[in-house]
Amino acid sequence: MKPFWIISITGIAVLAWLARGLLLPVFLAMMLAYLLSPLIGWTDALSIRRSVAVGAIFSVTILVSVLLGVTIGPRVMAETSTLVERLPETITRVDAALDRSLAELMVTAPVAKSILPQGEKWLSKLLLNRPPEEPGEFFEHAGHIFLLCILVPFFAFFLMRDMPSIITAIMNRIPPQHVETSVAVWRELNGVVGRYIRGVVLDGLVVGALAAVGLWALRIPYPLLLGIFAGIANVIPFVGPLLSAGAATLVVLLYAMGLGAVVRVLVMFLFIKVLDDTLIQPLTIGRSVHLHPALLLGSVVVGNHTLGVLGMIIAVPVATILQETVRLLLEHRRLLASRPRGRAQQSIG
Amino acid sequence: MLERRLPRWLAWTIDPEQARRAPFLAHSPLFAGLPRRLLGRLSTRFLEKDYAPGDMVFHEGDPGRALFVIVKGSVEITRATPRGDHVLRKLTAGDAFGEMALIDDSQRSGGARVAEHARLLILYKTDFDALMDSEARIALVIMRNLSRLLASYARQNAAAMTDARSGAPTTDPV
Repeated sequence: MKPFWIISITGIAVLAWLARGLLLPVFLAMMLAYLLSPLIGWTDALSIRRSVAVGAIFSVTILVSVLLGVTIGPRVMAETSTLVERLPETITRVDAALDRSLAELMVTAPVAKSILPQGEKWLSKLLLNRPPEEPGEFFEHAGHIFLLCILVPFFAFFLMRDMPSIITAIMNRIPPQHVETSVAVWRELNGVVGRYIRGVVLDGLVVGALAAVGLWALRIPYPLLLGIFAGIANVIPFVGPLLSAGAATLVVLLYAMGLGAVVRVLVMFLFIKVLDDTLIQPLTIGRSVHLHPALLLGSVVVGNHTLGVLGMIIAVPVATILQETVRLLLEHRRLLASRPRGRAQQSIG
Repeated sequence: MLERRLPRWLAWTIDPEQARRAPFLAHSPLFAGLPRRLLGRLSTRFLEKDYAPGDMVFHEGDPGRALFVIVKGSVEITRATPRGDHVLRKLTAGDAFGEMALIDDSQRSGGARVAEHARLLILYKTDFDALMDSEARIALVIMRNLSRLLASYARQNAAAMTDARSGAPTTDPV
């Protein structure tokens, strides 16, 4: 390996370590850039200057976000504040009913005492009696989110605008005999990752919308909030749909809407899951990218440990990208190994 | 295409490099017959790289992953013989080579060496396949052109073989 490449790779690794705080916004910016890349492809085909095209696309995106915020925002805020206001009272009511039923159960069937855990007010303990958050911590979280809202579009803008120049500069740095094979791996990865990210987002939007409409039709409280949650959680395969169905069931239980409502909600989420697996995912994500279940759960646990809820959401795309990179590199190595030996040595040496 | 319809005061919004690329590709036999709109879409999939004289674009036996179009300079297509590399063809601006890579990633049947400082447009099979999936017309036109080129190569080879069996140069696609 030439000293230039050793120095470059070491330099990039050191810079990445020093600027590790920027890795998340840069990763999210890359996702946003992938999401908007079909539009850029369309403007490129019309020979529109990148800076003009990216500026226009960002202006329209911001406008659409503001319009969505104005139309759906107040409803989401209203649902959130109602949930926060009513939660303690509802939980206390459900706890009282639950404790009464358990007490009756233990009188009629004393054997249940050995099976059920002791104590009262389970839901309160689970949902309300969490250690209070320090005011400093709250401002830290709010600051992080605000910074992400600024940094992600900022990085995405420059990534999209300057990508052709970056690619040309890199291409001109790669030794000529390696351009065809090594860049082919990156192009394939670029295609797979782009399709996957766009697919996941589109899939989440459809599933979220279906869940919101379904919950609204079933007259379940907070349909919009639960729909948004279902759309975001859908990024986490297997676990995501379970979390969304669990959240909706919890709301039904908290509002004491009866067993019938619980069954209706579960059937609706099962229907969405089947529809997602058989129709929506094949159309949006396709069947080309599959993460091994063990890797999937492992990535979710690591994501949660590293970045909390946000880590759980981005863990699967990150793990998928890594898995695809390794797969393509191995495939590329196998292809190179199958060349006639004399020629392989000639091109390497 | 858009640059012709825009008023003059909006001309600054046009990328001159990109605007030149589609008409340039239209002259290549491989892309002949593609409408301007599809040429525009196709041109965005190409990457560009400068090569110095003597650089090997690819070696004989390498897996074929991309098609190359010469923007400027010249490239020699070579084949290894017991007496050293034999130049089969010399290609110049507007010519394309490595077209077999658009069909499959089998090994290159010849090498490509830069004769004069060259700028090449590179179309990777992955990007071409993605475009074909979304635009069937591109697949139809390019595959028809490619079939014509292959037929012409096959005819030239057959003629060369009957002309002389003394190791006369062939014109295989690479």
